[in-house]
Amino acid sequence: MKIIANKWFWLAVFVLSWTVAGVAMFSDDTTAITEHGGPCPQRIVAMAPNLTEILFALGLEDNIVGVTEYSNHPPSARQKPVMGTFWQPNIEAVVAARPDLVVALGFNRQAGLAHRLARLNFNTLTVNIETIPQLLDAIEKIGTVTNKTAAARRLSERLRNNLDNISRRVAAGHRPKVLYIIQIEPLRVAGRQTFINELIELAGGENAIAPTINKYPPVGPEQVIASNPDVIIQPVMDVMEKADLTAGKQQLVEYFDRFQSIAAVSGNRIYVIDGDAVSRLGPRIDQAAETVARCLSPELFEEP
Amino acid sequence: MNIIEAKNLTFSYTDKPLLADLTFSVPAGSFVAIAGPNGVGKTTLLNLLSALLKTQSGSIILDGKGIRSFSAAMLARKIAVVRQEFIPPFGFSVIQTVLMARTPYYNRLGFETPADKEIAAGALKATDIADLAERQLAQISGGERQRVFIARALAQKTPILLLDEPTSFLDLRHQVKIYDLLKKMQIEEKKTVIAITHDINLAAQYCDNVLLLAQDARYYQGTPNDVFSTETIGKVYGIGGFSGAVRTQKFFLPLGKYARDYRVIRHTSACENKT
Amino acid sequence: MTKLLTPPTLLTRILLATVMLAAVMLACSLLGTEHISLKKALEPSHPGVVNPDYEIFFRVRGPRIILAAIVGAALACSGAVLQALLRNPLADPYILGISSGAGLGAIIAITIFSRLNWMLWGRSPIAFFAFVGALATAGLVWTVARLTGKSQVTHLLLAGVVVNAFFSAMIMFLTSIANSSQVQRTIFWLMGNIIEEDPLVLWTSGGFVLAGIFALFFISPQLNALSFSEVDAKAMGINTAATQTVAFVLAALITAVAVSLSGLVGFAGLIVPHGVRLVFGPDHRQLLPLSALIGAGFLVAADTLARIVVAPAQLPVGVVTALIGGPFFLVLLVRYSRRIDWLAK
Repeated sequence: MKIIANKWFWLAVFVLSWTVAGVAMFSDDTTAITEHGGPCPQRIVAMAPNLTEILFALGLEDNIVGVTEYSNHPPSARQKPVMGTFWQPNIEAVVAARPDLVVALGFNRQAGLAHRLARLNFNTLTVNIETIPQLLDAIEKIGTVTNKTAAARRLSERLRNNLDNISRRVAAGHRPKVLYIIQIEPLRVAGRQTFINELIELAGGENAIAPTINKYPPVGPEQVIASNPDVIIQPVMDVMEKADLTAGKQQLVEYFDRFQSIAAVSGNRIYVIDGDAVSRLGPRIDQAAETVARCLSPELFEEP
Repeated sequence: MNIIEAKNLTFSYTDKPLLADLTFSVPAGSFVAIAGPNGVGKTTLLNLLSALLKTQSGSIILDGKGIRSFSAAMLARKIAVVRQEFIPPFGFSVIQTVLMARTPYYNRLGFETPADKEIAAGALKATDIADLAERQLAQISGGERQRVFIARALAQKTPILLLDEPTSFLDLRHQVKIYDLLKKMQIEEKKTVIAITHDINLAAQYCDNVLLLAQDARYYQGTPNDVFSTETIGKVYGIGGFSGAVRTQKFFLPLGKYARDYRVIRHTSACENKT
Repeated sequence: MTKLLTPPTLLTRILLATVMLAAVMLACSLLGTEHISLKKALEPSHPGVVNPDYEIFFRVRGPRIILAAIVGAALACSGAVLQALLRNPLADPYILGISSGAGLGAIIAITIFSRLNWMLWGRSPIAFFAFVGALATAGLVWTVARLTGKSQVTHLLLAGVVVNAFFSAMIMFLTSIANSSQVQRTIFWLMGNIIEEDPLVLWTSGGFVLAGIFALFFISPQLNALSFSEVDAKAMGINTAATQTVAFVLAALITAVAVSLSGLVGFAGLIVPHGVRLVFGPDHRQLLPLSALIGAGFLVAADTLARIVVAPAQLPVGVVTALIGGPFFLVLLVRYSRRIDWLAK
């Protein structure tokens, strides 16, 4: 091969000088994410449905100028402009909304998004909401940044109290083993490292499944039988009316019919619940905990 | 002076040797035919001479130096090879194909020089395919394609040409034209031509020497008249036929049992046996 | 085209293609879910006042379009090179293990390192791991093929298939034990996505890809001969081993750059060289630059479609290229099978 020293040499020179020029011109662009405690933000964009709920709960309804798809609670959130989905946010829409604060979930869930926003010089607040304590923490953080410290403290205290109440109520009772179904085909359940597990324990129960690598492990029939849950719970999404819940329960009962040996089936302790509040780590977590507690210990919640 | 010398060449693909202790030399500027039945090692020998195959034992000396000491680039200045034609995976045209031979001589930008284009044009003219220059290889006949490959080898402008059955797809006219061309190259440009051929009569008319390979690694070499005797042909190819003489060279017409003039053989061999 | 290529002709065609690319990029930068006007975007900025048209044009769409152009150019060019090296019109840049290697790198970064909350120079480590994964796998496949000796091409393909299969299995394993958000991120990465990158990344990757394309142009005459036949190329004095190595390394490098920036965008590296060859012929001195320019335009257009078609949601760009590329490829296949020159003997 006729490699003329000339052209390859000049190519190498080109690459080197191009790179150096680039570094010289652009390398000041490493903006770290800062949590500005700036003046009261007027235009807020929430990049996740639970963040939307928190903002609404803090009384910031009028300041919200953008939400992501499936921000369906409270109902008036559905009127807000949509900025794409949780997984594929529409950055253009965010820019066009001219927010002075963008709230996003942290590294584990929306990694990179915060950086993209910060690179565009948006005032970004990222919070990690993976557990209930983190949720309460996040509420306070959001409250600080949005100048709603008092409202935030009230909200987090109310939630803490409600959760404690439930805990206390069920403390005396037995601890039923709970199988929390995420998906039927193939069968997936909530494992021990999820916030759902926290709900289960708060509600006085114990996860029927032993600790696993996955947060939401797929399980086989043997494990179902071996774990012998006392209660089976499945959330149903997009519940429009009562009929949806009944239909869902029907399906679930049919599915588990083959497992006659387990306590939940023989004791007829199979429940379906409205998944909307339960699947989200947001301000309705106390309602979620109560719903679960009612399934686990219905006798403790008998209302006249 | 011998431009190629092969000494004690042995080669085998399996445990049975294909070529064993083959020794021959090619004088510079001569026209050599390599003949023999199928499977006897002709193409293998060609591949050894063009350094596509590594010798297993024995040596090949090219221009006084061992062939292994040549780099691909150096070798390409000495030997051009014409193998069986084929249609390439991408649609190159005739002129593009022929010019590929000039790749080592392109200019700095990687383009053909005017000299390259002239050489290519000359090669196209010599092989009578100048009017096909812009056709794609897939669009021309097998015989025309073979001539493209020959033109490409000519464009390499080497002192030695190796060809593997260059006329197998050509019509009579072009068979003769190619041999004429090769002979012309030998006479006018002092090229050394080594061609594998099945046509022993054309070989007799054009070639100076013949290397006849036979089964069990046997071989015969000499002038066409010496090598192509009826007896040898019968032994090596296993067929009989009618031999005669044109003027200076013999010719041989193979005849099978159902050939019209088959009786000539029995008559001839009967005559020969008598003497 | 079968006429002989001359430098002036080549230059003219490259210039025309560049102008067309610029036009496409400009047009696409004005399309999107938000309506912006070029005039407003170019207005001088006032301190404290945010000009959304400016922001969208220069900070959101602009970088995306430039990135799409870089990725498209890299993939189309390396696709053409792989097709030449393997003497097979069905090759694409990912065929020799690069896709599964990059994918494995990415998913390792997503699953293992996300727990450590690790940032590499202020950026997510996914791109880095994908890059390393791509190159390491390409090197592995090349080495395996070399070890098996003769008939490079067949062994390259086989090694590529085996490595792809094995790494894909590992990707599946990691996906099965990952949590749902990690799975989502992996899937999106595998589908190919163009997002806005910062200027330094665009500048350096653009420079590398450009240099790679130039280097490949330098060895285009050798690639021509190699794509014809390896034996004949050698007989004509070309150092086939060196050409193959250089070409493969360069193709792997620019593909790795593209893949680390955008994930696995399919079909661009397969159909763009085909289309260019159909119109302009197989001469690589022309095929490579034109494939790069047209590949860039193709991906810019595809990304624009991805942004617009299901607004306000966005499609991964790999979905768009597959939807366009699949049927196009089918048409090519049918058309080509009627033309004898497609049959490799």
